[in-house]
Amino acid sequence: MNFKKQFKDGLLDKNPVFVQLLGMCSTLAITTSLFNGIGMGLAVTIITICSNVLISALRKVIPNQIRIAAYITIIAGFVTVVDLLLKAYIPALSESLGVFIPLIVVNCMVLGRAEAFASKNGVLASAVDGLCQGIGYTVALVIVCVVREFLGSGTFGGGLLNGGEGIRILPEGVPAMQMVMPVGGFLAMGCILAGFQYMTRKMENARKDKEAAK
Amino acid sequence: MKTENTALYILRLALTLFIIAAVVAAALAGVNSITKPVIDQLNAEKTQKAIEAVLPGGFDEELANFDNQGGLVSKVYKGANGYALEVLPSGFDNTITMMVGVDTEGKVLGISIVSHTETAGLGAVAAAQTSAGEAFRGQFVGQSGSVGVTKDGGTLDAITGATITSRAICVGVNAALACVAGLG
Repeated sequence: MNFKKQFKDGLLDKNPVFVQLLGMCSTLAITTSLFNGIGMGLAVTIITICSNVLISALRKVIPNQIRIAAYITIIAGFVTVVDLLLKAYIPALSESLGVFIPLIVVNCMVLGRAEAFASKNGVLASAVDGLCQGIGYTVALVIVCVVREFLGSGTFGGGLLNGGEGIRILPEGVPAMQMVMPVGGFLAMGCILAGFQYMTRKMENARKDKEAAK
Repeated sequence: MKTENTALYILRLALTLFIIAAVVAAALAGVNSITKPVIDQLNAEKTQKAIEAVLPGGFDEELANFDNQGGLVSKVYKGANGYALEVLPSGFDNTITMMVGVDTEGKVLGISIVSHTETAGLGAVAAAQTSAGEAFRGQFVGQSGSVGVTKDGGTLDAITGATITSRAICVGVNAALACVAGLG
């Protein structure tokens, strides 16, 4: 395991959102402003790192038959801790994300990494995996957020810049409200997925051509 | 321990899960004991701020006897300029906790939303500190009797894409107005 490969996996080759299509519920639901995207991404990243580390440390102690139950208990514990800490110290984020913080428990990305990686690898590698997958998830959320916020509200950096209103790019009345509604989430997600696949294919082909030319 | 399906093995499974759950529960209890006072204080501050936002001059006393309008009104604070009522209408997702200020003549002084779990970007606009949120809440100022959104034959503009949230807030304001009317 090397860090560079893990990082590239998390960001591109095995991006949790764009390639593995994990954690779709939160990706579609909360990506309406930049603030939400960054906040959710960071929360999930921290939880994935913590749960990966603990599950990796306990991987030889937890019997195979009850591993899913054990993983979910551990993940739920970390999620609740993050939920309580956010409520106490970053109430604005807690209010903005609402029920989607507790729902990280059922974000398949966290359990997916526990099952696919942490249960088979060492503590350090699992921590790095959690970080890289978390960054990939955050970047994906931010991309979807920026697109949806631009088309739906006509702003950039909502909840974060310009006193919470975001920087207005499109005049009021021009943006299509549908884009911040659930239907817009699906539309934006589909188009971004297609674009991402097109881009990675093109990169892959270019790499192959280069190798063939050698 | 390799022999599966023996009583001992089953016991080991149960015990492992029990220990994990017990440790997680203990950790949560620890975190909760640290964050609870902070969260409680934040909520108390928020309530205080919400009262001051809707009732200029703040309140002098909390009333104990009032008609709770079928459970919608939870608290009534009385001040020199009128009343601040905490009302709990059902929103799109869950209960909305909001504060409604009503003057002694039965006119709305202002509304503010203390806590809610409405959809981010839609219903949450009702509580947001943005121009759209302020415009929505501002419509209620000066209203009396009974309010409603235009879709229901009222005079207020609902938040785009959040008719249910807008209706819920009207229900809350109506309950507050009816409650104050009952106080005389």
